[in-house]
Amino acid sequence: MYITRRGIACLTAALATAWVTSAAAQEFDWKAHSGETITFLANSNPLGQLLIDHADEFEELTGITLEVDSYQEQQMRQRLMTVMNARSDEVDVFMTLPSREGMQFASAGWYADLTPYIQDSVSPDYDADGFGKALMDAATFDGQLTAVPLNIEGPLLYYRTDVFEECGLDAPSSLEGLADTAAKLKECTDLTPFASRGLAPAAPYTFSAFMHNMGGQYIIDGESAMCSPEAKQALTLYSDLLKNYGPPGVVNYSFQQLTALYSAGRSAMSFESSNEFGLIMESGDRLEDTAIVPLPEGPGGSHPTVIGWGMAISANSAKPDAAWYFLQWASSPEMQAKFALEGIAPPRAAVADSADYKAWLEESPVRQQWHDALAVLAETGTSEIGYPIIANPESREHIGQAIGDMLLGTASVDQACAKADTALNELIARD
Amino acid sequence: MRVEQNHRGQMAAMSMPALVFTVGMIAFPFLYTIWMSFQTYSSTGQVTGWGGDNYLRMVVDGQFWNGIWITLYLYVLSLVMQLVLGTGLALLLFRAKRLPGIVRSLFISPFMMPPVVAGMMWLVILDPSLGAANWILTSLGLPPSAWLASPVLVVPTLAMIDTWQWTPYVALIVLGGLQSLPPSVYEAAEIDGASRRAVFFRITLPLLLPTLVTAMILRSVDLLRFFDLIYITTQGGPSNHSMTLNIYGFRVGFEFFQLGYAGALMVTLSVLVLGAVMAFNRLRAVVEW
Repeated sequence: MYITRRGIACLTAALATAWVTSAAAQEFDWKAHSGETITFLANSNPLGQLLIDHADEFEELTGITLEVDSYQEQQMRQRLMTVMNARSDEVDVFMTLPSREGMQFASAGWYADLTPYIQDSVSPDYDADGFGKALMDAATFDGQLTAVPLNIEGPLLYYRTDVFEECGLDAPSSLEGLADTAAKLKECTDLTPFASRGLAPAAPYTFSAFMHNMGGQYIIDGESAMCSPEAKQALTLYSDLLKNYGPPGVVNYSFQQLTALYSAGRSAMSFESSNEFGLIMESGDRLEDTAIVPLPEGPGGSHPTVIGWGMAISANSAKPDAAWYFLQWASSPEMQAKFALEGIAPPRAAVADSADYKAWLEESPVRQQWHDALAVLAETGTSEIGYPIIANPESREHIGQAIGDMLLGTASVDQACAKADTALNELIARD
Repeated sequence: MRVEQNHRGQMAAMSMPALVFTVGMIAFPFLYTIWMSFQTYSSTGQVTGWGGDNYLRMVVDGQFWNGIWITLYLYVLSLVMQLVLGTGLALLLFRAKRLPGIVRSLFISPFMMPPVVAGMMWLVILDPSLGAANWILTSLGLPPSAWLASPVLVVPTLAMIDTWQWTPYVALIVLGGLQSLPPSVYEAAEIDGASRRAVFFRITLPLLLPTLVTAMILRSVDLLRFFDLIYITTQGGPSNHSMTLNIYGFRVGFEFFQLGYAGALMVTLSVLVLGAVMAFNRLRAVVEW
């Protein structure tokens, strides 16, 4: 048996790595910040609520006292903005949506850079490399990691298998085929054939998948491209589907109305967030008659929307180290495995492979479909909702406005896209 | 005399902290907003300039004028409905002196409800697909309505919800006014054989005018800064048809980060509210008896 120099080098490296890991394991102390108090600004969505429900486990593990400030999404941002503009240290750690506000908050200097923490200060079982690359990239601005992913989510097409079977229909296999399917459902059933978001600030979340699958892009050569042929086709298809086959009053629809309508068995197809899965299935009525798929591919291929909530540390926090412990606990494989069983899709592949999660998925075919659809999103999805500019939230408003005007019939597609382009080009110039 | 002056001085000194605190709490946010309204901010919230640009922008901003129009439309519609119905309800309560306490409590219960709860409740009732309102309409053979999703009906529907909530409040104010009217005038009218209609239009209403103006002032302040109900139900939609100035300012400031422009919008709204209150105060001086 010969031992080559290369072999010796490899062995030495392996031993060194094992020693360093072991040393890190011994050095890492969850109680290092015991006695400190940190404030967590939470969104009261199902994910935030789970974190709050399990907060006592964190306090027991670390000895850190967690004060929770929980609001609905918009109010949470309002609170954050007030605190950050005052450069106050009242908030140490907060939930954030990098796809929406990441660039804006990063440019404003609101996020602490998490790169040194995730490289040097993690518990041995944290598995910092276990997060999906797309989500980590989406939270990285100018080389700085601003948030750690807590979940993965995106809009999915929920449809009623019993109604489709009764009407002799197969699941729609192409984007353009959605209108045909909806038309047949309208003739065959009293249910609302197709439902999706119509409320201006909320609609871009679902519309963006139509836009990308149609082959459209929001910005081409630095200019707003809402009037490109692909974007106009996407606008027309989306608004026609909702106008002709959607529920009355769809122009005010966001996720709450979609969930209520589908859960009550009043819509045959609903294009809505994967996060609503738990609520929809809660009553058990839809567990046996629902199938879930990503939005069918269009002429531009399949580019579903995928985003994730993340957790960030305030740049003004006086206790960033203790805040990092909370962030690390919340995004640990152990906690994300627990949350997965509550319907929060894990951003870590390893959690998705865990035995408990697999057993949970196997309990019902629709859970497996939900998981499979999210896997497609993770693999092929894009986080681009609205314009990839600092003023992304405002850009969504103008996209939503164009959809709203078309839904109400107050503008043709040419008028709606031209109005949107004018406003959006101003935003791009301001950027 | 000297002792009394000393005593006054001591009283003034002791109340000074409370006075300073109260004035500070009122004046500081307002002055700060005015100061902000003269600054321009980048999309990331950084100050980029100083001047009157925000006010010039308002002049050419169609959304601002839409906000003014929606604010005034909602204000006038709600105020008229609340005054008419509130006066009617107050007259009913005044005449039905033996009304059980529980009925009186029920009458005033809507305005005890937080506007957010009222908004959520009406959102469910008026849901075009699942709500009770359309179920009632269709049960009666009438066509369903889009309610809050209709660009034409959204403001009247919001005014209706606000009227449901605040009419009892107006009624309580008017009831107080009715109870303070001098009985001798009514006795004289009865001796003269005046009809009930004449008594109402020639005696009750003119004597009630100061009370009605007080109710108008109180409701004007709330109605011109109409916010929570719209925020819960429509967020300014559909397609900006319920985007009041207050909602628009909030979105510009807290969602789009344009703090300077939002400040200018809020200063304008404050001037509008202040103007309405001053006008009604003058009116009260005219109708005072």
